[in-house]
Amino acid sequence: MMQIDVHNLSFAYGHRAVLRNMSFSLAPGDYLVVTGKNGTGKTTLIKCLLGFNPVKSGMIFYNHQDIINFKDWTSFGYVSQKYEDFNYEYPITVDELLAVNSLKKIKQPQRLKILDQLGILEIINENINKLSGGQLQRVFIARAMLNNPLVLILDEPTASIDKLNTKFFFQTVNELNSQGITIIMITHNESFDNMNYSHILNIGIDMNYHFQVREKCDLTEVEV
Amino acid sequence: MRSDGGGSVITCSFFTDLFSNWFMLRALLAGVILGVLAPLIGSIVVVRRLSFIADTLGHFSLVGVSFSLFLSTLGVSALFEEPLFLGLIFSVVGGLLIELFRRAYRNYKEISMVIVISLGTALSAIFFSKAKATGSIYTYLFGSILTVNNYYMYAILITAGLVGLLFLIFGKQIVSVSFDETSAKFLGINGNIFQLIFMVMLSVVVSVMLESAGVLLVSSMMIIPVAAGMKLGWSFRSTLTIAIVFSELSVLFGLWVSYSLNIPSGAAIVSINIIILLVVTLIKRFADKKRLPSSEIEQLNE
Repeated sequence: MMQIDVHNLSFAYGHRAVLRNMSFSLAPGDYLVVTGKNGTGKTTLIKCLLGFNPVKSGMIFYNHQDIINFKDWTSFGYVSQKYEDFNYEYPITVDELLAVNSLKKIKQPQRLKILDQLGILEIINENINKLSGGQLQRVFIARAMLNNPLVLILDEPTASIDKLNTKFFFQTVNELNSQGITIIMITHNESFDNMNYSHILNIGIDMNYHFQVREKCDLTEVEV
Repeated sequence: MRSDGGGSVITCSFFTDLFSNWFMLRALLAGVILGVLAPLIGSIVVVRRLSFIADTLGHFSLVGVSFSLFLSTLGVSALFEEPLFLGLIFSVVGGLLIELFRRAYRNYKEISMVIVISLGTALSAIFFSKAKATGSIYTYLFGSILTVNNYYMYAILITAGLVGLLFLIFGKQIVSVSFDETSAKFLGINGNIFQLIFMVMLSVVVSVMLESAGVLLVSSMMIIPVAAGMKLGWSFRSTLTIAIVFSELSVLFGLWVSYSLNIPSGAAIVSINIIILLVVTLIKRFADKKRLPSSEIEQLNE
């Protein structure tokens, strides 16, 4: 279980301020959707939450522990918007990639189950440099889900997935959330129909933001 | 006996000498170990897109060799008699400098290598110019596996053992972080410590390869078999296996060619590596261009 508290978080790249005095809290099992136009600081917020951007103004707490001292990052799963540093050209199969990213306790049946959930079981022995953008993105999603994270952070995960698989994906995320995993997802999807989210954070271009709570509805059974 | 006959005499002489001379057997053993070690480390270097790094470390470890010769000139050679010792230390220093500059120029990895290679070349030139006995420069530049002595042999064995142990224990993490540095955090690995350990390991491997492969060819022994393996491999494991097979073939044939034609072993090994790469590239290109038989196209359409 992971309680997340953000207090007066501000962030700037040099002199360019991106986030200003942002505060919100998420209880274990919450599902936060982060929306906003391009350049409003959604990915910056995610990078702050993951400790990639050092927090200099404001505070982030995980289970009441300051992010500066937080060590338990294996409780997090993360899917990036793009993997600029990832080496796509060197041969490695999906199975190998997931195997080297598994913690010791994770065994092969669990990997197969996740691949099946995401509809990519048939590409398990494929070389990743032969996969389409959508398949590759689902492999990265599988990688993030692999180690039973308590918090799953997804930065526009469905950007390169077709409509049908996007629905499947949201269904999987809803199921994970119903198992108690906290979800934080940036999305550009205009329709949130298939997302069983509990909170929404809209970031405006002027660094204003609106954090709202929504009554959950049962969307785990999505018609496809 | 060695060159006054046909090819068969040379071959016969090579094999006779191989098993009757300890230095030949030692060279073969060193070559076989390096034949596994070089592509093993090389594959990680290629995945991390740092192919130029071995070259840089080789140049920096040459500072140690030249400094060792310079100290001999001053008569302070007791502690540093074996150039490998200082070569190893300077190689590690070079690795740490690369890491330092890499963090300063995070998005321009190659800048750090240019700085270190320039510094290494400049310092080597200065120390060599002040040293009297510089006869072994040639060996360190181009490598000679036939001159590997017991001291180097032990260094190679210990290094191979340590690297093997590291891969056995942390192999999964090494591969994972090499493909994607951000994954380190979510596997509970300290990325900075990982980088440091990898850099030290690479520096040590480069320095022990210096005598056999030479400064100018050390990176080729690491990278070229992997480049050929990438052409044929369908997975990480298969690519590494193919690279090791190519590397061993190059070492064995290279040793034979080096002995037969009396040319530097490092150069012979790397030349054979290049020939393998060219052949593999040509075969792959030919295979990729070849059209599928009509029966298979029909099957695909169905």
